[in-house]
Amino acid sequence: MTSYKIHCVAELSAHDDRVWDVSWNPNEPLLASCSADKNVRLYNYSRTEAGKVKVSLYHTIPTGHTKTVRAVGWSPSGKTLATASFDSNIGIWEQEDGDSEWECVGTLEGHETECKSVGYSNTGTLLASCGRDKTVWIWEVLPDSEFECVSVLMEHTQDVKCIAWHPSEEILASASYDDTIKLYIDDPSDDWYCFSTLTGHTSTVWSLAWSPTHHYLASGSDDRTIRIWQRIEGHKWENVLILEGHERSVYSVSWGRGNGKAAEGEEYIGWLASVGGDGVIRVWEVTEEKGKAKARKMIEKKGSHGVHDVNSVRFCGREGWETVLATAGDDGIIRVWEIAG
Amino acid sequence: MQANWSIGDFNFYRDYLSALVKDDYLRNTQSLTMTFSGALTLTDLNDFISPSQACIKPVQQSNSEVPEPGGATTEIRIDSSGGYYEVSSSQTQRKLEQAQISLNDCLACSGCITSAESVLITSQSHAEVLAFLAANENKAVPVISIAPQSLASLAASLPASVTLHQVLRRVRTFCKEALGFAHVFDITFARHVSLKEHVREFEERRQASKLPMMASACPGWICYAEKAHSEMLPYISRTKSPQQVMGTLVKYWLGEKWEKRPNEIYHVTVMPCYDKKLEASREDFRNEEYATRDVDCVITTGELDLMMRDKGWDLSVPVIGESDDEEDDVFPTLLQHPGSSSGSYLQAIVNHVVKTWPVPLEASVKIVRNADFEEYTLQERDEGKIVFKGAKCYGFRNLQNVVRKVGKGDGLTGRRKARKEAERGYDYVEVMACAAGCVNGGGQLKRGEGNREWTKEVEGAYWRSGRTTEEGIADELALEVMGQELEFRTQYRAVESDVIGTAVKW
Repeated sequence: MTSYKIHCVAELSAHDDRVWDVSWNPNEPLLASCSADKNVRLYNYSRTEAGKVKVSLYHTIPTGHTKTVRAVGWSPSGKTLATASFDSNIGIWEQEDGDSEWECVGTLEGHETECKSVGYSNTGTLLASCGRDKTVWIWEVLPDSEFECVSVLMEHTQDVKCIAWHPSEEILASASYDDTIKLYIDDPSDDWYCFSTLTGHTSTVWSLAWSPTHHYLASGSDDRTIRIWQRIEGHKWENVLILEGHERSVYSVSWGRGNGKAAEGEEYIGWLASVGGDGVIRVWEVTEEKGKAKARKMIEKKGSHGVHDVNSVRFCGREGWETVLATAGDDGIIRVWEIAG
Repeated sequence: MQANWSIGDFNFYRDYLSALVKDDYLRNTQSLTMTFSGALTLTDLNDFISPSQACIKPVQQSNSEVPEPGGATTEIRIDSSGGYYEVSSSQTQRKLEQAQISLNDCLACSGCITSAESVLITSQSHAEVLAFLAANENKAVPVISIAPQSLASLAASLPASVTLHQVLRRVRTFCKEALGFAHVFDITFARHVSLKEHVREFEERRQASKLPMMASACPGWICYAEKAHSEMLPYISRTKSPQQVMGTLVKYWLGEKWEKRPNEIYHVTVMPCYDKKLEASREDFRNEEYATRDVDCVITTGELDLMMRDKGWDLSVPVIGESDDEEDDVFPTLLQHPGSSSGSYLQAIVNHVVKTWPVPLEASVKIVRNADFEEYTLQERDEGKIVFKGAKCYGFRNLQNVVRKVGKGDGLTGRRKARKEAERGYDYVEVMACAAGCVNGGGQLKRGEGNREWTKEVEGAYWRSGRTTEEGIADELALEVMGQELEFRTQYRAVESDVIGTAVKW
């Protein structure tokens, strides 16, 4: 078994208030962050010849949101950024060309209260958002930054904390304060509908992440556990693993490819990182043996943001950067980490 | 806050603060429970907008003590039985009242949207109707007016050979014999008047270049626009809905004929929609002088069905002479307005434009996204010039798209704003909050899970009138009532919120 170490490669204290979320651009060397200070910041990153990771602030977008920007998400092309704000709106941001300012090319109104999460589908043709009004909205992305509402799903009985699109199919997952996770697909002759409700968590489900292999879903909860759900067949998903260890709420989970290896007779699935109220970054190596998922804790980094909560963790998805992840904390700081074997 | 913390306290406080900040604080607050009566339980409703997560009203406690700057003087504790106590700095405890929420609170607050259902149960229900009739002793003339969509819902559960007209006759017999109503009307003549007024208003707005005009008959839409999209209000037609036109006709036009004051008539309507209860409750439709409303009580199709069941009335049994032609009771009955089963507002406007345009026009229809969102375009047959663009837009998701299209794109920068300004917008939009429109209203009879199939059956039944009423007669009478000093317009006001969403400032 390889033993891994995590080390902080950059510390970015660019925000004036708690940082809620970070998101890696899928194509460009860009990292976006958002904060209670209502700004979005973009960072460049690269490696020095010696292989050292360098991250620097490149641009600040004063979003014009009147409240906290709670989440950020890139389109698969990496050309568009979406922001979800407690002012109940979604902002859509683009550059006219590579050098110009990031401008607001659209706002999506509809949520009644705080918007909590936003994300583009794998093809970039759909955008989903959720919020405290218990709803999940799906928008179709049309040319010229035009959007049309295709569905308003009112399945949850409480605040919806998070949405996540499946990485290769049009399946949407949402997680809620009602302790459940719901999965939706489109009925082309009618509307989107919830085809499955995943129950098991005993408190708020804060975060969702699909595995790079597409057949697992991980969820982080206020019940201090992470659950892993496996696609048993077609549209049947079942809880197959419960990961314990966090001493407080798990606020965010992220699944990266990493560069681990499976032992003989096992399939390698990826690395799963989790963060939360206990300030600890935990990373699990997930493998599969005869179709059964297994997780081995490979990293436990305490005090990753001092005494502060860690709100978001994201693995970088770009090739060559699979071992790099970013975290955002209540201390207003973003840290970039690298895992080495 | 000055205090000696123990580690335990600290952890508790930390968790509490963390929960507050992470917006998870609601776990610690009492959730609002609302009691739905059996008939009013909403199920399987695609487009129902449910009450907000937590009504903010209960947390608005007036606190007479002036807190020290920066110091919390009281906290709220919960005892083992779930009681809430306010504990002041001097450790005195005061049990907090359970929140009471009135209809007015709900109307004045934008915390929830269309939560009317739960609040209006006691003030407008079939039980209220029965109680009134039992205590009436001939003091007020009881009148009931029924929406054609409600008749269609009832007809759909009967064999397809039963027409709307036959259902009306059966319901009329029930309302007169079993309940004691003096008059039983259908609401289509009021709609006839409403459509004419609507067309008149469209013409006024077109001449004043104040288009688009949007339909005003759907109270769910009105309520939503007033609370969430006040920028839409100037575009919404001020013509009263058929229900409220009926209210005016019954209380004032018929009242005068019958020599009855408005409070000497008890007017009930049967509607496919819960939100109609909210509409009837608007202060604009209340007469302060006589302390009476134009529509005293609104019941849903489901509630009428429940009353028939309670009285052992079988709607599948024909009544004597139900297929015969009959003399109309004051108003022409069951006027068909071809177009849509939600009132044909767009069609009425289209017909008007075609009829009044100096050269022949050609109409084309385009389905935008689904059957609930269609665009109608009128072009000059020879020149091809577009002279009118309208849309029919039903359901919450389509409503969002219309609001986006009609809105001026405030907050947009540069390119998109310019493009939006260059687009040719709609002249008219028939907006309904429910998917599939009024035949699928929240107050209609429900059948199993297959909501869509059932809605199709109701739609089919809606057009099986079984009788053609001469429009000429209706036009003549409409002209007569529209020549009286009766008010067929109303107004809207934005519901400003001082308490939107959360009590916590971020």
